This record gives sequence, C-alpha cells and structure tokens, in this order.
Amino acid sequence: MELFTSLRGWLDERVDLEGLAALARKKTVPSHRHSIWYYFGGVTLFLFIIQVCSGILLLFYYRPGEDTAFESIRFLMSKVQFGWLMRSIHSWSANLMVLAAAIHMFSVFLTKAYRKPREITWVSGVLLFYLTLAFGFSGYLLPWNELAFFATKVGTDIAGSVPFVGGAMLELLRGGEQVTGATLSRFFGFHVALFPAIFTVLLAVHLIMVQRQGMSTPIGHEKSSEETPMPFFPNFVLRDVLLWLIVLNILAVLAVFFPWELGVKADPFAAAPAGITPEWYFLFMFQVLKLLPSHVLFLEGEVFGVLVFGIAMALWTVIPFFDRKSQRGQQGRFFTYVGIAVIVFILFFTILGWVML
Amino acid sequence: MKYLSLLFSGIMLCSFVGTAAAQDRQDECYACHASMEDDASQAFATDVHRNGGLTCASCHGGDASLDDMDEGMSSARGFKGVPAGKAISATCGGCHDDKERMGALGFDGTTGQLTALRNSAHSRGSGATASPLMECTHCHGAHGIRPARDPASRVSRRNVVALCSSCHDNPRYMQQYNPSLPTDQLAKYRTSVHGQRNARGDSRAAACPDCHMAHEIRPASAASSSVNAMNIPMTCGKCHGDAKYMEPYGIPTNQLALFRGSVHGKSLLEKRDVSAPSCNDCHGNHGAAPPNVESIGNVCGTCHALNAELFRASRHAVEFEKAGYPECETCHGNHDVRPATAELLALGAGSLCGSCHSTENAPEGFRAAKVMHVLLDSLRNTVALAERRIDDAEQKGMEIEDVRFSLRDARQARLQARTAVHAFSVEKFSEVLDPGLLIARQALIDAEAANDDYYFRRSGLAIATLIITVTVILLFLYIRRIEQQQRSRKQAVS
Repeated sequence: MELFTSLRGWLDERVDLEGLAALARKKTVPSHRHSIWYYFGGVTLFLFIIQVCSGILLLFYYRPGEDTAFESIRFLMSKVQFGWLMRSIHSWSANLMVLAAAIHMFSVFLTKAYRKPREITWVSGVLLFYLTLAFGFSGYLLPWNELAFFATKVGTDIAGSVPFVGGAMLELLRGGEQVTGATLSRFFGFHVALFPAIFTVLLAVHLIMVQRQGMSTPIGHEKSSEETPMPFFPNFVLRDVLLWLIVLNILAVLAVFFPWELGVKADPFAAAPAGITPEWYFLFMFQVLKLLPSHVLFLEGEVFGVLVFGIAMALWTVIPFFDRKSQRGQQGRFFTYVGIAVIVFILFFTILGWVML
Repeated sequence: MKYLSLLFSGIMLCSFVGTAAAQDRQDECYACHASMEDDASQAFATDVHRNGGLTCASCHGGDASLDDMDEGMSSARGFKGVPAGKAISATCGGCHDDKERMGALGFDGTTGQLTALRNSAHSRGSGATASPLMECTHCHGAHGIRPARDPASRVSRRNVVALCSSCHDNPRYMQQYNPSLPTDQLAKYRTSVHGQRNARGDSRAAACPDCHMAHEIRPASAASSSVNAMNIPMTCGKCHGDAKYMEPYGIPTNQLALFRGSVHGKSLLEKRDVSAPSCNDCHGNHGAAPPNVESIGNVCGTCHALNAELFRASRHAVEFEKAGYPECETCHGNHDVRPATAELLALGAGSLCGSCHSTENAPEGFRAAKVMHVLLDSLRNTVALAERRIDDAEQKGMEIEDVRFSLRDARQARLQARTAVHAFSVEKFSEVLDPGLLIARQALIDAEAANDDYYFRRSGLAIATLIITVTVILLFLYIRRIEQQQRSRKQAVS
C-alpha cells in the first residue's frame, strides 16, 4: 500500500494525476430519456480495440499472397491453438463494429448532436464510419476464398464505373486490370497500414473533440439534463464497461456457435459461383444498382447509381452546415425526416437484397 | 422463283401420278436416246425407276410424250437438262423425301434419305461454293439404279464395301477432306469376321452402312452418330442382340444385356463416361473379331496396364497357361465384368478365390486371399469411418479440410492395392496398402480430435460466459449501490 502511495506520488509530481482526477470528478454526462444512445460510441470504440488486438494476433500467422493467404488462414484455424477463435472474433467483431457505428451515427443524426459547435466531431465521425466500411471491404478479400474474390471483383468493378476517375481507381485498387495477387497485397497494405494510420488520426480528433466539448444534449432536453447530470466517473464509465462486457459475451457466443467459415480457395479461372453478394452492409447499394435500369437520363444505370451514392455520402458528411435551424438551437423537422428516410431506404433495400439472394 | 418451283412441282406431280396411264404412254426421250445407244439410256433400261414407270422427264423435266424434240425439251415444257450440284439430290429428294408421294407411287419403304444425307458428314460444305461433298448419284449412280436388295446394286451388301472404299481407301483423295481419317478400313474389314463372311457372299454379314448408316453418316465424335462410343453398344446390339437374325451363326445374343449390367456398361451408358470401353475397344472396329484366349490379357491390358503387368509376373499366369484358362476373363468374365470389390477375394460361397482355393487343396492361396480381403476391408472401413467423423466435425463448423484432403492418399492406396492384388503376393500387396491404412487411421484420430475440440469449445464458452455474466451482474449491483449512495448524499446536502 505504501509502495502504491509512493508510486502515485511519483507520477503525480510528473503528470499531475490529481489534476486529471479532479477533471474526471468534475466531468458529467447529460442525463435524459435519449441517454442510451451515448453508449454506442463507446461500444464502437470497444469493438475497434478488439479488432486491433485480434488483428495483431492474426498478423502473426497471416501470409499475404495468392499461394499463401488461404493456406495460412486454414493453418491458423485448424492447427493454431485458439486460432479459430481469433479469426471468428475478428470477423464477428468487424460486423458488429459496423452495426454499432451505424447506430451511433444515425442516433447522433436524429438527436441533432452534430449541430454547432460539434461539426468537426460529426465530420470526423462520418469519415471514421466510411473508413470502417473500407476496413470491411479490404479485409473481406484477405482470406483469398472464392466468395471474397468474386465479391471484390464486383465491388471494384463498381468503383471502376465512376466517370472520369473510375479507370484510375480500378487500377489503384486492383494493382492491375484484374483481381490478382497484386490486389491481395494492396488490400493487405490498406487494411493493416494505411487505413489504421488514417483511422488513428481521425479517432484522436473525434475523441479529443468529444472530451473537450462533452456530450451533446438533444434540443429541448437541455433543462432536464441540467437538473440531473450523471458523473462521468465512475457512473458513466462503469455503465460503459457493463455494456462492453455484454457485447463481449455476445461476441463469444457468436464466435463459438457460428464460427466464420473459410470456404473454398479462390480460383481466378473458375466461373463465378451463383449467389455472389457483398457483405450485408453493402447489400443495399448492391441491390439498388441491380434494380436500376440500364440507362438513366444520359448515363448508364450503374454509373448514375454510383454518382448518386457518391454525392449522397458527401452531402451526409457536411450536413451540419446545411441544417441552419439546429445551429440556432431550434427544432427542425426536415432533417429528421431526411434521416428517417435514409434509414428506411437502407433497411428496405437491405431486406430486399436479402430476400432476393 | 416461287412460281417456277410450283410449275416444276406441278410438272413432276403430273409426271408421276396415274402410273397406269404413264406406262402406256411412250417415253419419247428414252426411245430417241436408246436409238442412239448412249450410255445413259442403256443404263436406264434396267433402272428401278424406269421399271416403276418413271420417264426421263421425271428427273430432267420436259414432256416425254412429245415426239417433237424441240418442244418436248423446251423450257416451256419444264425441261431443265442435267441437274448439277445440289439440284441432283434435290431432284431425288423430291420423291424420296416425300412419304406421301412415295406412298402414292406404291412404295412403302423408307423415306427421308435426302434429309438424312444433308445431316451427314458427306454433306459437309466443300470448296469456295460450299456445295455438299456428295450427292445421291455419287453412290447410287444416275441411270442404272437398282434396289439395295438387288445383289447387282452398287449399294447392296456385297458391293457397298467396294463402293465406300473407292474413296475411303484412297489416302490422297481423303486427304483433301479429312487428312486425320484412317484409310485402312477396307484392309481391316477384310480381316474381320464380318468382312470374311461378306467376301464369301453372306448377305447378312455387316457391311459399312450397317454400322455407319446408309445416309445419315456422322463422324464418331458426334453424339448422334451411330458409331459414337455411347451408341456403339446399341449399333452392334441391333444384330448381335437379335436372336432370330443371329440364329444361323450359333453364337450367343445376350452380349448387350450382359454389357449393360457390367461395370463398363454402367460407366458408359449410365454415367456417360466416354473413357469406359465400348464394344469396339475390345473387339476392334473394322477388324472386329472376338479376342482369343491368348490375346485377352493384351486387350484388357490396354487400359488395365498395371494389372496385366502384375498378373503376367505372378504365379497365376503360369498356372492359367498350363490349364488353358483365358487370363482376365477367368476371374472377371467378359461382357458382364463386375465391379472389382474386395468381395471377389472373399472365401465364402459364391466368392471368386474360394472357388479354386480351399484350406485343403491350396492352403497358401487360401491364406493369401483371406489376408488381402481382410486388409482391403479394413482400409475401406477405416476410410469410411474417418469420412463420417470428418463430416460430423464439419457440420459442427470445425475447419478440417486438410484432414479430408489427406484421405485422398488413403483412397489412392486402396485403389493401388486393388491393382496390387494381381501380383497375388501378400508382401507386395501390403507394401501398397499399409501406408494408406496408416493415413486413414491418422485421419480418423484427427477427426475425432476435431469433434472433441468442438465440445471443449462449448465448455470453454460456458465457463467464459458464466464468468462474464457474473461480472456483469456484480457490476450492475455495484453501479446501483454507488448511485443510491450518491442520491442519499445529495438528499442529505439539500
């Protein structure tokens, strides 16, 4: 105990622990009937930490390359102690992270938490969400199995249909004209080096902004939250940990009962098997592109769809700057309806895509 | 053009109907040409068509009843001269492809020859004009046509072989159309039982059209060809399965039925595996003859080379030769070859080895058969059990593909061991089989381990879930307690 006290004193002299403790004691979180949504940011962060840890463990065995990727994952799953668990956790956690991040993003949108002065937090958060999707897309190919190979082919084909820059984008993504070992190396580089670097910077900005500005209180709830603010430490932190443990439990059950399958090794010369679909979080886009007519206006249907999605994603990123009412602290219904329409659109086409598989 | 065709058809029809009247009417064309003693009219004198009442005008157009040559051979009377190219067969097909017209002429035989010819290899386009290679007259002639059943006909069984060979026996000629096609069919045919009987004047012995068809001749590679591997059993069986037709020869007619039930027949006819042997693979094509006792091993050894090699080096080869037994056929039969299962080595009633070897008369062979049977059975059962356990593990979501892959070597060893049986030596047999048995046993151990691992995972999950759940409950209670304390403090302060 004495050792602990002296160690704490040593640290206090150097990093002002007491100051940090005082800050933690002082910090509060608004409490109201929408407080539940605050926790999804923490859940997303928790799942990201799991992704990093399990990803590092997978890196010990994974060997990128046409002739080694699939074999190394098979070795990991069948011969390495708990290798199957690591891969399953990594795959399930990736999917849950996309889900948690989406819930977090839409809850922020519907509670108008992006309004002034939190525009930077929103923009960094949306970019983190897009990067999470990019993580999913690049990671999907790494086991080099049949489904991943053809889904990547379809996915990069769509990227290649973007007007003007499509050809260059396709070349950049694939490292050539076709999906080959060069694409695998490239995706591996994106997945473990480029994206994590960008993600870390954006995450730092996002978290610093959250800490600096605190949690946003929904418009119309400011008064009630002033009455009963919740201490950040220990109340909010402990609740966060409680939810994290529940998520960890769900993750363990999913990993054991539904282990992520490896499938058949990719064969670039084989015909595409029936039922090739992207991951569930890209399904709505895939379904919309499938249903578009061959020509819309003067553009090819697919090009039109990609353009519309691109513009919509860009507008979504800068939406705080358009919502003038919320900036003034006024309730505005238009953007709420936009948010609900987007959610309904995504759910409808995801379900449709699922049903039409 | 349409009207010309109609006019032509009308004239043709008018020429053919009312046969009694036509026969009465004089064929002025023929009368004139016969007086000139030209080749065409001399040949036409015995032509089946003339005997049937047709005139020169039936094919050449014009009006044969007029003695005025200019008018009878005028275009106004439908004269078209000597048909050339496709028009030759079109002229013949005008009747022979029309069942009703042939019926009206009192002919109840086969029709559709032109359609069949146009679907045949002989109608393949040739040269810049892409005109068919052959027309009716190439085989049947133009004016001295006789029915195929007439021994003097060019296409009778006696003459048709020479007719076909006039092209197919000529390498330089055939080179123009199909350089890869052999031109030794006639030479081989003359060595065959069919050819020898044909040469002796047996009009029932198979000649070229019996196997290749008369008009719809297609290359053996075509699925619809009568000599395609899949169709050969039925083509041969047409005669060899017909007890009445084969009666004069005194040979069995159950070959096709036996072949259908054999391992070869099932592979070829049911699994559509063209690598399986058909009749011609053992008996030959044009030189078809039953293999004799000495050559059976060579015939089977064409495909089963290793089996034949091991057998010839074995003790059985010597004993079989002494006894005059045919090599492979003695154990496996000929047309009804059964799948070579381990049961052939069994020693019970109806078994193969047991039919000669017993504890009394050949104890050494009896023991060898017993050991090989037990070992083969053991490998088969171990592989089957390992497969079941691998299936179980995969159904549970375990990654065990490498173990399944390793079983391929065990199956391969079993296949090789079945071949090694033909050495009839337990030592040589074990050299092949034992490694497979080891692999299968290891696969079974790995599959069992994967199944056990599945239950270990479940237990591990249950423990981990329990610990996490208890922690969650404790944490929840702790949060509730500190929040109650906070509320109490707040109330005390206020």
